[in-house]
Parts: sequence; structure tokens; C-alpha cells
Amino acid sequence: MFTYLLRRLIVMVPTLLVISFLVFAIIQAPPGDYLSTYMAELQSQGEAVDQAKIDFLRHQYGLDRSFLEQYAVWVGNLVQGDLGYSFEYGLPVNQVVGDRLALTIVVSVATIAFIWLVSFPIGIYSAVRQYSVGDYALTFLGFLGLATPSFLLALVLLYFANVKFGISIGGLMDPSFADAPWSWAKARSVLAHLWVPVIVIGTSGTAGMIRRLRANLLDELQKQYVVTGRAKGLSPAKLLWKYPLRMALNPFIADIGGLLPEVVSGAVIVSVVLSLPTTGPMLLDALRSQDMYLAGSFLMFLALLTVVGMFLSDLALAVLDPRIRLGAAATK
Amino acid sequence: MRSMPISLIPFCSPTLRPRSRPIARASLTFVAALLAGLIQSGTSSAQSYSDAPMFADKVASGDLPPVSQRLPEHPAIADMSEAGRYGGELDMLMASAKDTRMMVVYSYARLVGYDRDFKIVADICESYDVEDGRIFTFHLRKGMRWSDGKPFDAEDFRYYWEDVANNHDLSPTGPPSVLMVDGEAPKVEFPDKYTVRYSWSKPNADFLPALAGTTPLYIYRPSHYLKKFHAKYANADELAEKVKEAEQPSWAALHNRRDNMYKNDNPKQPTLDPWMLMTKPPSDRFVFERNPFYYRVDPRGRQLPYIDRVVFDIVDSKLIPAKVGAGEVTLQARNLRFDNYTFLKDGETRGDYRVRLWTSGSGSQVALYPNLNTNDEVWRKILRDVRFRRALSLGIDRHEINQVIYYGLAHESGNTVLPQSPLFDAGYANAWAGFDIDQANRLLDEMGLDKRDDAGIRLLPDGRTADILVESAGESTEESDVLELIRDSWAQLGIRLYVKPSQREVFRNRIFAGDSVMAVWTGLDDGIPTAETAPVEFAPTSQQQLQWPKWGQYRETMGESGTAADMPVAAQLLDLLQQWRDAETDETRTAIWQQMLRIYSDQVFVIGTVNSVPQPVVAKDFLHNLPETAVYNWEPGAQFGVYKPDTFWLDESATATAATN
Repeated sequence: MFTYLLRRLIVMVPTLLVISFLVFAIIQAPPGDYLSTYMAELQSQGEAVDQAKIDFLRHQYGLDRSFLEQYAVWVGNLVQGDLGYSFEYGLPVNQVVGDRLALTIVVSVATIAFIWLVSFPIGIYSAVRQYSVGDYALTFLGFLGLATPSFLLALVLLYFANVKFGISIGGLMDPSFADAPWSWAKARSVLAHLWVPVIVIGTSGTAGMIRRLRANLLDELQKQYVVTGRAKGLSPAKLLWKYPLRMALNPFIADIGGLLPEVVSGAVIVSVVLSLPTTGPMLLDALRSQDMYLAGSFLMFLALLTVVGMFLSDLALAVLDPRIRLGAAATK
Repeated sequence: MRSMPISLIPFCSPTLRPRSRPIARASLTFVAALLAGLIQSGTSSAQSYSDAPMFADKVASGDLPPVSQRLPEHPAIADMSEAGRYGGELDMLMASAKDTRMMVVYSYARLVGYDRDFKIVADICESYDVEDGRIFTFHLRKGMRWSDGKPFDAEDFRYYWEDVANNHDLSPTGPPSVLMVDGEAPKVEFPDKYTVRYSWSKPNADFLPALAGTTPLYIYRPSHYLKKFHAKYANADELAEKVKEAEQPSWAALHNRRDNMYKNDNPKQPTLDPWMLMTKPPSDRFVFERNPFYYRVDPRGRQLPYIDRVVFDIVDSKLIPAKVGAGEVTLQARNLRFDNYTFLKDGETRGDYRVRLWTSGSGSQVALYPNLNTNDEVWRKILRDVRFRRALSLGIDRHEINQVIYYGLAHESGNTVLPQSPLFDAGYANAWAGFDIDQANRLLDEMGLDKRDDAGIRLLPDGRTADILVESAGESTEESDVLELIRDSWAQLGIRLYVKPSQREVFRNRIFAGDSVMAVWTGLDDGIPTAETAPVEFAPTSQQQLQWPKWGQYRETMGESGTAADMPVAAQLLDLLQQWRDAETDETRTAIWQQMLRIYSDQVFVIGTVNSVPQPVVAKDFLHNLPETAVYNWEPGAQFGVYKPDTFWLDESATATAATN
């Protein structure tokens, strides 16, 4: 067990290193750099740009160094905890990301909670009452949510919320609360705005979860021990909850690792459409303007989240499922 | 008041008893004194100023000096249709945090600025003199102050010229190019505390337009604030501390970070705008509050602006029309397009606003740019033949485009100046802008492109089919819609049109390199020039001109890159531009403009489609002093700038009810 954990921890380091290289290479891949994008933007707005000033800035920001040199500098800083400097905002990266991270976590946690709360009972119902009208109806709804483009659903719900409930369009709270300190009124405003992004981002996640839970549970319900239990007189509820469900929970736990980064960054499109003050739109802007350090450091943060999340979910799974804990020894 | 003398007349009646005459005399003198007082106050009403109730507490407690000491001796008096009331908050939406600069654009407080007729007048300066077009003297307002109360005088100009523009660390490339005439730097003098003089040996026709520009040339700085960050004035150790604290590489970098009057992202930097930034970036909501030392007053002597506070909410640009339609803004035009019009009109009653339609100031909403510098030799020869360009222009059904996409509200025209410009002539707008397939086909046949393939597509001299690949920046669905209509009409000419959407930077680089044959973009940036505007858009002066990028680059880099204009007509346009610069009288300048416009339209260097497209401007019902119709243009015009938002006012009672809803 201990060696298993240790091995997993050690593997994380080269994984992150490879990810950092790939991230950096891809961000640098488009021709030009932050300054050429900036210059093109100024020119297309009709503002004059001094080529010499750009060259001067390029030297100042270290953008005229070779690729490997820039990469080495960046990784070196990352390891020391210095996330770098954002050209676009003119501030250190952690100041730019800081505020948005809190709201991102609120949205992500709410979405994951929504996904679990919705898919859990529906999955069980679908498995237990297989091929019933309810099963078909709920599955249909789930697939509908999966098939509808999330931004379309977002816009429809946004309009509906505004016309029927008078909630201001976009954002996570009423604009007047934007810079105000936290209060009950502000929290209520956030909750009123929260349900649209949560439903939109959550709907596609629930479909997958429902089907997985249903499939796993159906597998378990076919097994011998369930028949035995029923024969021996166990109540159907206890029969369902105590044994098969524990097995079927595997995907829930396993998915934690993948779910969090997916919800944090995979919600970029919905965040952009709904204009949420989360990290998604910030990442998109940073990538568009090739704001290297902001984009790169944030992506590395996501990579770290993913890797650590995977590790934690594997750990949880090992605790939950003895088959994994005993691993190879059991099959021998 | 005025009725009082009349009511006293009965006392002056001859039927009064004698002992009331002293009373009559006294009342007469009293009346005379009153009249005299009225007359006097009428002429010097400008001398008694008043300010916003917002400052009453601060003035009472002594935090702020009284308004007469906050205004310059002779403040600028605003011209307005209805005098307004103080108070209220103006909410606007912006698409990016960088748009704090829009406050500088909308405020339009410039040393000299354009008025509503697009003539340059004194604004921040009290008056200015121009001698021979080469000696510019600005007389500043005595007693004018920055937003933090410190004086605004010639020292701020001297600081800019000597310690910023000519400081090697802060400006490694020297003063801005608009200040250099043929490489000659200006002679800058400060005859006294409130006078600034810039002189050259040759005329500099770009100087005043640059000062009046939407993105202006600033020849002054808040010297008292910036001296703290300048190595020459600040204590060396303190400066080093500040540099380290701000995590900047050098004092010059720190100074440049703090000195950003246009970008307007530093709440601590003093400003001359009517509203000053209060929120420190980064933020999703920027609040601007009234500047207590603002230099303009209304005709009744009340210090402007009327509106207490302006708020910019930063929202994704695609959501802006939706939010505006839901009634969440007080005033908005930016990021609203004509195709949002029906949606916005629909929400008028629910949102308590009204949609006005202003006119876009662009020379053409969607314009095609045949690349005369393309690398493809065959295409280059064909595009340089004026008959080809004329034929393409005749092959566009502008009426159809106008009806289908703009509901007939636009103006069908070639890429030229708008009717609002004094230089307009219907001849330019209509040159080769009709829809005449027969004539177009005739021109193409005349050119030698009379061979066609089986599908009816014309063949080029080297056997290829006439397939024009129009490159676009892929940012506008409007462009694709127009191009689809053009594709159909050009098919009748035997020319196939393909559209290649790209990304803005790639799109531009391909054009500059000559890899593209034709591009689509918006037309003239300035559709409302006057004879005093430099006709730079009509001659190859910049690489950004997509029809002749290499010739433009040649001029921009003074011959270092690009190619010299090798078409006689283009050379002629350059020559005329030089003549304009050397011209001494308005008549000569107008004549040269007319000549250039005529050649430009006749040669069809850029194929325009429609212009004067309406721009929706949404304003709440309780916003006053906003023009009903106007031209909405970036340069000149500063979108709202020339209409002076400091004169806009909100109807308090209406604002109050809106706030409670």
C-alpha cells in the first residue's frame, strides 16, 4: 500500500514536467508573441505603433530570448512559487487569478454537487426499473441535455431567467454588488444567478453519470449474491443499498479526479457566454493574446489539480474497493 | 422680479398726493438700483459659479476649496440646448478591462478638439494661434488645475518635452513621429507660465489633428505626480524602493507604467477629464466620479459635468446586446450593431429606453480591397487594369445588399466621403457604383478576358479560371452575408468568388506580404473629412491600407522596406498629398481634395458597397442632451466625444423611481 502510494507520488513529477513542456510549446506555437498580437490590435484600431518601442519592450520582457531559455526561466520560477507576470493586465499572475478562483470554486462545487444529486437517484431508478416508462423518459432528458450545445442552453435559460424572474443577464451577481463586501444580500444574488450556469454545465455531466451508474448497477444486480440475498429474505431496499450500490459507486469516486479540472476549465465556453467572473474567460483571453505567463501558469495549476485529483481519487478508491487495494495479489 | 417696476408705477402716478413723492422718489431709486443690479449680474453671470451638491459637505468642511477657486479664471463655457440638473449615475457596458480608456475617448477633453461640425476649436487651452501653419502658440487657462488640485500650467508641458519625450530612457526612439517634420524636431518655447509655443521651419499639418485626435497626442503630463518616478527629480533611494515594490525592471519602466493618460488604468494619476477613475484594476466594474477641478461650466455658471458618477461594467461583448435589451444600461452604443436593432426596439417599453439611430461615419460598411501589390503576376496585371476594378464594382447589386441586410436604411455608394462632409459630391458616391452587368461584361471582354470555360467562368491569360479568393478576418457575419450576395452577382460576370475566413493577424500579414489577391474589410476610417484634414487615406501612405500595402510601407519606413509606387496614378495621388501639405489657403486645399477624391473614386481602388449604415444608440428615457441624430465615428468624433457627455444630464425624479424598481 505504502509502496503503491509512493510510486504514484513519484510518477507525478515527470508527468507535470512533460505537461509543462507541452503547455509552453503549444502556447508559443502560433507565430509571433504577446507583443506582435498587441501591435496588430493597436494597428487595426488605427493607433500608431513605434516598431522601436516594441523591440524595446520585447527585450524588457525577455521575449527575444530563445524558446528553451524562456521555458527554463518560467519553470524555474514556477518551482519557486512565482507564477510570473501578466503582460495583458500588467500585474503578477497570482493577483489576476486570485479573486476569480474563489468564484470558480463556488461554481464548480455547486455543479459537482448538482451532478451527483441529480444523477444518483435517477441512475438507481433507471437500473432498478429498467425499461420502464420512467427509465426511458429520464434517459431521454439526460441525452437531450448532453446533445444540446451548452451555450445554446445557456442563452435560452439566461433569457428565460431575465424575463420570468427579472435576474440580470450574465455574471454571477447583480452588477451593483460587484465590488461590495460579502453580505446576505450579495450571497442571495449569487445564488439567484448561480442556478443557470450550474444547470447548463451540469446537464451534460449528469447524462454520462446516469448511464454509468445504471450500467454498473445493472451488472451488479445480475450477480449471484443478489439472488441469494433475495432468496434469503433481505428487504429489497437493504439488498439494493448495502451491496450492489457500493460496487456501483466506483465511477463516482474515480471521476472526482477528472471532474474537478473538467468543470473548472471545461466550463470555459459557458463562462464566456454567460460572462461569469471565473477563470475560464480569463484563460481564453490570455491564450488569445498569447499572455504567456498567465496562460501557462494557470494551465499548470489545472494540471496540478488534475494530477493531485487523480491521486486522491485513486486513494479513495483503494480505500473503498478492496479489489484495488489487494490488486495483483488477489488475481494470483 | 421684472414685474416689480411695473407694479410700482401706480406710486409714480401724477394723481398721488404731494406727501407721497419722497416715497415715490425712494422707490424709483430702489427700482433703478435693482435694474442696475440685474443688468450687472446679467453680464457677469459667469463670475458666480456653482457646483454640484455632491461637494457641499466637502466644501463646508474645508476639504475642497469653493468652486470659484477650483475653476480656472476663464472656464470653458459649454454650448447646450437645454441646461441640465446635477446628479445621477450613468451605467455603461464595456467588453474588456482595457476599455477604461473609453473614458478618455468619451470625455474628449483635449488641448484642441473637434466641435460638432468637425472643425478644430480650443478646448483645454483658452485660445491658440497658428502662424504660417508652422508656429503654434497655445494660451492656457489661468488657474486651471488637475483633478487633485495641483496647477496645470506650462511646467507640465515643459516636463513632457524635456524630461519625457527627449529623455533617452523614457523615449528611446525620441519624440513621437508626428512632432518631427522631415526629421526636424520642433522648437519648444514657454514665453510665460500660461503660454506654450511649438515651431518648425516647415508647416506641420498633422499637429493639430493629432492633438484633437480620439487617441490623442499628449504634449503635457501631470508633472507634479510623475516627478516622483523620474530619476532626475526623485530621491534615488526612494525611487529604487518604489521600483522594487512595483516589481519593475527599472525606473523608466515604472515611470511608463504610471504614465498612461490614454490607458487610464491608474486611479492615482491626476486627470483633466470630467470623471476620474476611482477603482483600481483588475476589476469587473469601474467607477468614475466627478472631477472637482473640471474646467468647463454650463452657460449658467454651473460646473460640469452634470452626472455625478459613471460606471463601466465589464461583460463579454456577445452578451452586451442582450443586457442592453434587458434595460441594464443608461447609455450604450459600443458593441451594438445594426442587426441588434429589431431586438433592441422590441425591448423599449420593458427597459424604459429608446433606440436612436445615428449614422456610422465609415466610408463603406463592407469594402473589397484588390491587392495591387499581390505577388501573383497575372492577377497583379489584371487588378492594376482599371477596367477590371470598374467591372467588379459595376457587378455589385448595392440596392439588393441595402434591402436585404440593412432594410434599405443604408446609402448605396462607392467607398468615399459621406454627405455630411463638406467635400461630398454625389459624383464620387455614384462613380461606377450602379448595377450594370452588361457594361461590366463589356469592360471585361475589352480587357482581353473574353475566353470562358464550359461553366461560363472567364479564363485568365495563363489559362486559369477567374477565381477570386477574398480573404477576411473572420470577425463579422455581416461581411460573409454581403459577400454571398456579391458572389451571386459576380457569377453573372463569369467571375467566381471564394471567401477565406482567417484570423486577424494572419489575415493582415498575408496582405502585407502580397500573398493575397483581395481582402474584405471596412472602408474609409474617416468618412467626414474637411478641407483641413490631411487626405492620407487617399494616397499610399500606410501599410495598413489593404489595397496597396507595400507602397504604403515604403512611405511609412521612408524607403527602407516595401516598394515605391510604380503606378502613375498612385504617384500622382502622393504628389497631390504633398501639394496639400504645402498649400497655404483653404481654397487650394479644397481644390486638391476634390481632385484626389475624383481620381480615387474614378479609379475604384477600393470597391465600396454601402455606407451611412445606422448605428443603434440606446439611451434611457431620463437621459437628456443626447442628440437625436448624429454621426457615430471613431476618428474624428470619438464616438460620443464630440457631443460632450459632460453636458448629458439625468432626470433625477426618473432616476429615483428607476432605482427603486
